[in-house]
Amino acid sequence: MKIVLGIKWVPNTQAVRFDPKTGTLIREGVPSIVNPHDLDATEFALQLKDKFGGRITAVSMAPPAAIMGLQHVIGMGVDDGILASDRAFAGADTLATSYVLAKVIEKIGGVDLVVFGQETIDSSTAHIGAQVASWLKLPYVYYVEKLVNYDEKKKEIAFLRKLEDREEVYRIKLPAVISVAMHSQKPRPVRMSYKIMAKLENPIQIWTNKEMGLDPRCIGLKGSPTIVGGITWTPEVPRKKEVFQGDPKEAVKWLIDKLKEEGVIPF
Amino acid sequence: MSFDPSARKKKKVDCGKLCPEWECRQPGEFEGIWVIGEIEDGQIHEASLQMLTPARNIAEKLQTWIEGVLIGGDKEALEKAAKEVIYHGADKVRIIYHPDLKVYSADQYALVLSEEAKRVKPEVIFVAATLRGREFGPYIANTLRAGITADCTNFDVDMKTGDVVMIRPPFGAIMLAHIKTPTRRPQMGTARPNVFPIPERDESRTGEITWIELESIPQRRAFLEEVTIIPQTELPIEKADYLVSGGRGVATKELWSLLEELAKEMGAVVAGSRKAVDMGFIPHEKQVGQTGKTVKPKLYIAVGISGAAQHTFGIREAGIVVAINKDPEAPIFKASDYGIVGDAKEVLPLLIEEIKKLK
Ligand SMILES: Cc1cc2nc3c(=O)[nH]c(=O)nc-3n(C[C@H](O)[C@H](O)[C@H](O)COP(=O)(O)OP(=O)(O)OC[C@H]3O[C@@H](n4cnc5c(N)ncnc54)[C@H](O)[C@@H]3O)c2cc1C
Ligand SMILES: Cc1cc2nc3c(=O)[nH]c(=O)nc-3n(C[C@H](O)[C@H](O)[C@H](O)COP(=O)(O)OP(=O)(O)OC[C@H]3O[C@@H](n4cnc5c(N)ncnc54)[C@H](O)[C@@H]3O)c2cc1C
Repeated sequence: MKIVLGIKWVPNTQAVRFDPKTGTLIREGVPSIVNPHDLDATEFALQLKDKFGGRITAVSMAPPAAIMGLQHVIGMGVDDGILASDRAFAGADTLATSYVLAKVIEKIGGVDLVVFGQETIDSSTAHIGAQVASWLKLPYVYYVEKLVNYDEKKKEIAFLRKLEDREEVYRIKLPAVISVAMHSQKPRPVRMSYKIMAKLENPIQIWTNKEMGLDPRCIGLKGSPTIVGGITWTPEVPRKKEVFQGDPKEAVKWLIDKLKEEGVIPF
Repeated sequence: MSFDPSARKKKKVDCGKLCPEWECRQPGEFEGIWVIGEIEDGQIHEASLQMLTPARNIAEKLQTWIEGVLIGGDKEALEKAAKEVIYHGADKVRIIYHPDLKVYSADQYALVLSEEAKRVKPEVIFVAATLRGREFGPYIANTLRAGITADCTNFDVDMKTGDVVMIRPPFGAIMLAHIKTPTRRPQMGTARPNVFPIPERDESRTGEITWIELESIPQRRAFLEEVTIIPQTELPIEKADYLVSGGRGVATKELWSLLEELAKEMGAVVAGSRKAVDMGFIPHEKQVGQTGKTVKPKLYIAVGISGAAQHTFGIREAGIVVAINKDPEAPIFKASDYGIVGDAKEVLPLLIEEIKKLK
């Protein structure tokens, strides 16, 4: 099975410190990481490869530093990587991002399955999977958790996905695009030997728009129909903000009285 | 400033500047607001009805109509859903019908809806960001080469241009990004379930229902083979009146079981912060906040939750908010009605005891 895996290089929001005074996040000096939910996607792709053989190519559209992200998933067992990186790609919304990714996948050629994460931890639109599928005119299943079966002859694969109150099994004709549900896998650790091999064999290619040859009107800011017109503050919700600090016994009594006054004791 | 809604009809774009893979469309030719109605088990999804709330607000500003759009292969269910959509505020409904559309399939539904949108030219399309909405919504947007803004918490109209302003929390829910798509139509936006209320139901409302009976549809490539309904032992958190919610401060076996005991004694449902999800104490569907759910219980008790903006975003509609946290500086105290500064290890057993006494 020839698999393409999409990974995004994101600021580590877990390492983002929280400024309690202003209630905002401090982003300066925050290191970037592979979007954690993309590691679920990586694990899922690796399991398919373990079972059925084939090749996994990780793809990312990002600034050059994202090469570390590709090295990370190669360390987990992914075969090679392509970094689509060019100043002309910058400022892309999801339409323009998915366009570049779709063109990379087309250029790779012969891909059976494209695997994405559920969403990113920075802007979390969850658009990219569906949009890449639309550019490539392929079927799309979101929220995949498990492989059910793969029929190599018929070129069909079945997956289970879990919605809130139900489990669904989808059988899809390949080629297809899927997004893997976050927290659904246990991503395997990086193996040093793979990482060293990765460095020796240099399996990561960087494709700029020279290699890609995309119309400048379709990429970056120009290829993005959405524009950010401004930023405002979230209006504060009025709350009573009464705080009890002291003996815990007293505190609990105080709280129960307040809840009674408010009429929010369940019985 | 007075706004002339017809001015937006003169809006023109220079086709030569557009990506050649985008069909050139003149924004002025588009009118009306589509709300896509998702049908699940023969019923219109509540989250789709909720989208009629912002749609009404935008329709009034633009002085235009709301059209509910349904797709499927079961005439009876479609007809019933169409009525509900009208009772809840749509001016009319468009039903796209083909017997082979009985079962949902993301790309097929998206392709059919996209074709219809190209023909009918709505200026706005709203989709509820349910799990299926997050699957077919961006697929439609992309097929139309339209912009789409995810998980909006509000919508407005730019009174100068008539563009819809899609408002969404970016990185850090405390700030809101105002996103527009000035040169492309339709303008698409989604909102998560429960961000907006369902408009009042009024059975006396009427509206035209247009049936589009398709002769052929794109081939299906994703087949729903099996559905297993998981019996729900508990109310989903967005429906619960009482929620006890835990964060990293109670993310130990011992403290979490105290939290569960408190919930049990109160008849409350357990929810949590994203940290509680990441640490494996609760599933994602019980996460409160910007990337989880918006909840509206009568009482919300947050234990060991610091009160990051992304979390408190999910409780802005809650009745009374109680916080228990050992750090007096924790921002959660500014987002709650009653707070106790204390260690959950001490406070929870006492609270459980007091609650038991009340019963
Ligand atoms: C605050 C903020 C809000 C935004 N809101 C919108 C919006 O509403 N609409 C819009 O069109 N754009 C929006 N953008 C732009 C958008 O973030 C970028 O286009 C981004 O590159 C992709 O979106 P995402 O991070 O939401 O990815 P998602 O769609 O959440 O990602 C899903 C999966 O796609 C894959 N993937 C995502 N990005 C890449 C990549 N660069 N390379 C390889 N694989 C990838 C990963 O597997 C990921 O798990 C916003 C940006 C910001 C900063
Ligand atoms: C794009 C984005 C989206 C996000 N979406 C969400 C979301 O939807 N929901 C969400 O919750 N978060 C979300 N987050 C994460 C959010 O920023 C915070 O990191 C998270 O809410 C913190 O969880 P917490 O309060 O449980 O943990 P912490 O911030 O670590 O707080 C733990 C608290 O417990 C207190 N504590 C510790 N021990 C005890 C004890 N024994 N007794 C009492 N108190 C104790 C501490 O004083 C502290 O205040 C998002 C972040 C980003 C960047």
